[in-house]
Amino acid sequence: MSKFGVDLEVHIASLRRYARALMRNSADAEDLVQEALTRAVARADSFQAGTNLRAWLFTILHNVHVNQVRSKAARPQEVDVDDVESKLVSPPRQEERVELREMMRAVDELPEEQRKVLLLVALEGLKYDEVADMLGVPIGTVMSRLSRAREAVRAKLANEGGVTLRRVK
Amino acid sequence: MNAHQGLGRVTEDELHAYVDGQLDGNRRLAVERWLAEDPEAARRAEDYRAQAILLHEMFDTVLREPPSDKVQELSDRLKGRVAFNDNRPAWHARPLVRFAAAVMLVVAGAAGGWMGRGVDQQAAVPVAQQRQTLATFAQEATQAHRFYTSDERFQVELGADNQDELNGWLSKRMGRDVFGPDLGRVGYRLIGGRSLPTDLGAGAQYMYANDGNKRITLFVGAPQSGNQSNFSFTQNGDVATFYWVEGPLAYALAGRLSKEELLEIAKAVYQDVKAGPPRREAPPEQPQQQPQQQQQQEQPAGVQPISDTHKAKES
Repeated sequence: MSKFGVDLEVHIASLRRYARALMRNSADAEDLVQEALTRAVARADSFQAGTNLRAWLFTILHNVHVNQVRSKAARPQEVDVDDVESKLVSPPRQEERVELREMMRAVDELPEEQRKVLLLVALEGLKYDEVADMLGVPIGTVMSRLSRAREAVRAKLANEGGVTLRRVK
Repeated sequence: MNAHQGLGRVTEDELHAYVDGQLDGNRRLAVERWLAEDPEAARRAEDYRAQAILLHEMFDTVLREPPSDKVQELSDRLKGRVAFNDNRPAWHARPLVRFAAAVMLVVAGAAGGWMGRGVDQQAAVPVAQQRQTLATFAQEATQAHRFYTSDERFQVELGADNQDELNGWLSKRMGRDVFGPDLGRVGYRLIGGRSLPTDLGAGAQYMYANDGNKRITLFVGAPQSGNQSNFSFTQNGDVATFYWVEGPLAYALAGRLSKEELLEIAKAVYQDVKAGPPRREAPPEQPQQQPQQQQQQEQPAGVQPISDTHKAKES
């Protein structure tokens, strides 16, 4: 049974979810994925059969994101009012529960390098070595960022009364 | 961290790898032993896992949103560009699935349209939609398996002491009759279940364990249209998952087992589901006879559960 078509669908769904978690804004996230896929199509020849398609796609997305951040930093701050407004609108129904809201805030407050590692590992289920390759850092760095991210989030949630999530009743 | 008899020290990294399902068997045992002795470490592992669950609750909604037209178009192009790297036929190109998709059009029309789309559009959309939805469903099932089986304290929301209560509760949550199949003949007993959000609305996760305390989970979801689909398989790390649609429900069976072992259990699930719930009224009638027959034919022969050959013939 085929893997490729289904795999690609799943990986792209995964890319879109990661992009949303990273950008926190659906228009920016979709733009990021679009740009990444455009490059993936252009470089499809460089993808080698039997290698890790998901890691390949995530790496492209990461590079696109890094470039975007870099070019934004190089430009003077000039932001469209509409952009700001759309960024201020938080995704509605998902933040109703207090613990979700606290988690969202805790994740947002992480330094970006830690936030990325946490999202890639805990949300997208990437392997540590995939994350290391993707970010271009040693695996030890991935582990320490992951550890710091998890402890920071944990400390924040504990301050807010603790997460008592779905323990066995 | 702490030292452990005969298993060596458990490192900080290993605690994370344990939570993330990236640890192999021996070291997993070492971490489990550590967690059993050290409540603070156990709380950390549990909190880390809770964080992952919260992240999924926050962002899995994206999986249910259709991609923008541009992204969809690029995905299709990418599939065309890279597809030559894979010589197996695409899932949707297989005859049965195409047939099932055709059947689904009829069902979707009768049910009032596929996700509110007009009849004219239906012909173009559902196959891709269905494919993505099912694949996403399987992915969710795999993730749910990973989270809820890796730590015994997560186990289940409701135990299986009273199966009628468990089935009744999950049926109510899902708005459909569901039940946890009896897998005794393949060595697994039901230990309980939980209700979880899925791509297909509320879903039910049934958890089973064997005598070696190996856990498998059966994830049940309600697709919007009840087209049949053959067993599909996906492997995510060490978790293997079979998924399929039968009657009004989609099923995904996940376990840290070989494909062959899991297939045997999947067949037991399939048969028990078809046989119907214990001491409850029959499930809603199942519309398409023909694809079921084809499905039977496509299943590999010779992997019937050994302990129950007469029941295996039933379906």
